[in-house]
Amino acid sequence: MTPASSVLLLTTLTGFGYGLLAWLGIFAAAEALPDSPWFAPVGVAIALVVASAGLIASTLHLGRPERAWRAFSQWRSSWLSREGVVSVLTYPPAIAFALLWWFLGPDAAATRAIGLLAAVMGLATVFCTAMIYASLKPIRQWHNPHTAPDYLIFALFSGAVLLAAVLGASSGPAWAVSAIAVAAGFVAGGAKLAYWHHIDAQTPLATLASATGLAAFGKVTPLDQPHFTENYILREMGYQIARKHAGKLRRIVLAVAFAIPIILSLLAGFRIAPEILAPLAVIVTGIGLFVERWLFFAEATHVSALYYGRAA
Amino acid sequence: MTSLPQPLPGAKKLGLVIDLDTCVGCHACAVNCKEWNTGGHYAPLYDRAPYGAEPDGIWFNRIHSYETDGGGCGGHTVNFPRSCLHCEEPQCVTVCPTGASYKRAEDGIVLVNTDICIGCKLCSWACPYGAREFDDDVGVMKKCTLCIDRIYNTELPEAEREPACVATCPSRARHFGDLGDPESAVSKLVAERGGVDLMPELGYRPTNKYLPPRRAQIPTKPVEAPRATGNGLGSALLTLVDKVLSR
Repeated sequence: MTPASSVLLLTTLTGFGYGLLAWLGIFAAAEALPDSPWFAPVGVAIALVVASAGLIASTLHLGRPERAWRAFSQWRSSWLSREGVVSVLTYPPAIAFALLWWFLGPDAAATRAIGLLAAVMGLATVFCTAMIYASLKPIRQWHNPHTAPDYLIFALFSGAVLLAAVLGASSGPAWAVSAIAVAAGFVAGGAKLAYWHHIDAQTPLATLASATGLAAFGKVTPLDQPHFTENYILREMGYQIARKHAGKLRRIVLAVAFAIPIILSLLAGFRIAPEILAPLAVIVTGIGLFVERWLFFAEATHVSALYYGRAA
Repeated sequence: MTSLPQPLPGAKKLGLVIDLDTCVGCHACAVNCKEWNTGGHYAPLYDRAPYGAEPDGIWFNRIHSYETDGGGCGGHTVNFPRSCLHCEEPQCVTVCPTGASYKRAEDGIVLVNTDICIGCKLCSWACPYGAREFDDDVGVMKKCTLCIDRIYNTELPEAEREPACVATCPSRARHFGDLGDPESAVSKLVAERGGVDLMPELGYRPTNKYLPPRRAQIPTKPVEAPRATGNGLGSALLTLVDKVLSR
């Protein structure tokens, strides 16, 4: 599948934003956040701005962005529609959480309950995004049990790295948050390795023989192409990445998205230049996860490419 | 509404039956499809640099050609027209976030309402057959309509109320009809010739069927073994005479 930069931005940024929102809600419920009246409102504002930037970026790839509002209507059947609905429904509890924190205080039961609700809604949005990909039957690299948990894990990892930076900039670094970022980094890296292991071992969903109904006639090979130039189908779904490039990019993802952020978070957790290393970890994680998302598209193959003799 | 319609009792399942035995790969179906549809329901179907080095455009019909090795008993060259199969479980419909993509309850035709399509392209990702093509001039998805503006068109003589691809096929390799009615001509043809679904393992249950090439019916004469001849000038002369007379 051809990587579309607007969609890569969407999923990476909403992962950071909703991941941060989730940790704010969880830590608030556990009364583990600094009780400054500014803390949750600023944190929620950062989370919503980052996530909203992702959502706005996603409308850039639409052919008719001015009709985007129509996407809220088909939540009964469409994960894309559900993503839109749940993302909008995340704003009220997130904003209410910030307001209650400010007016009732961090310890109020209502603040903690609404914070937890905002966390759940944010993660639900990430889950809907993941299900858009996981539900697509023609793409084996997406339609598998790894896709949805992986998106949630990556959101929680990037959210933890972002929370560590927010804490570092306000009340000083918190050892617990850095420890969670490090642990989440290991879980996320492991999940990515497990995903690659899974897609490398998959058998194709279909063959050219079953795609043409000619299975009874032996091996089927393309003879003439219907057209000599790329069409929409090939541009969108015939993307092929060389195996050696994919291998190199996988190593880059492991290093930039997971290994370096783990080291930076660990150092920040030990109070070694946390005001520099924690924000640096956010930037490095962002670049790494963007490459990871690019590869998630580039390595995905679509069965319709079989008709053109390409791998699926 | 992008949820699939409840199947109505006795509703039609309009579709195509494509005969891979008689298709000659002339592309006439694709050309007539383009010709009709660029002035039809989804008009226009764009063309860019049609006479340039990199021509590009929307076609609802693409004609591939394949070779089979016959599994050890003689191969085939198969011309293979590919278009929307108007599936009974079309994921292109259910993934649509706006309700633009829909399947008609009364005849099973899958269509796009281009007035409310937002151009997210998700339907084209959900189609395993590569049947949908995006119009980036107007930012919406377009697809085969089964020539809805021909088959119900009372302005046309009744004999012409069939899809453009079917009407134009010079080898009668394309058939149009109600595949929901087991007594229809197309259903009987499918039963008789062992018509198949494409990629049945994906579970989309396509309405269109493909008739596989027929196995050779006329046994070919075995190649004659060269007659044993002696050596020497006499036999060489006889061979020459044999060759001349065999002409």
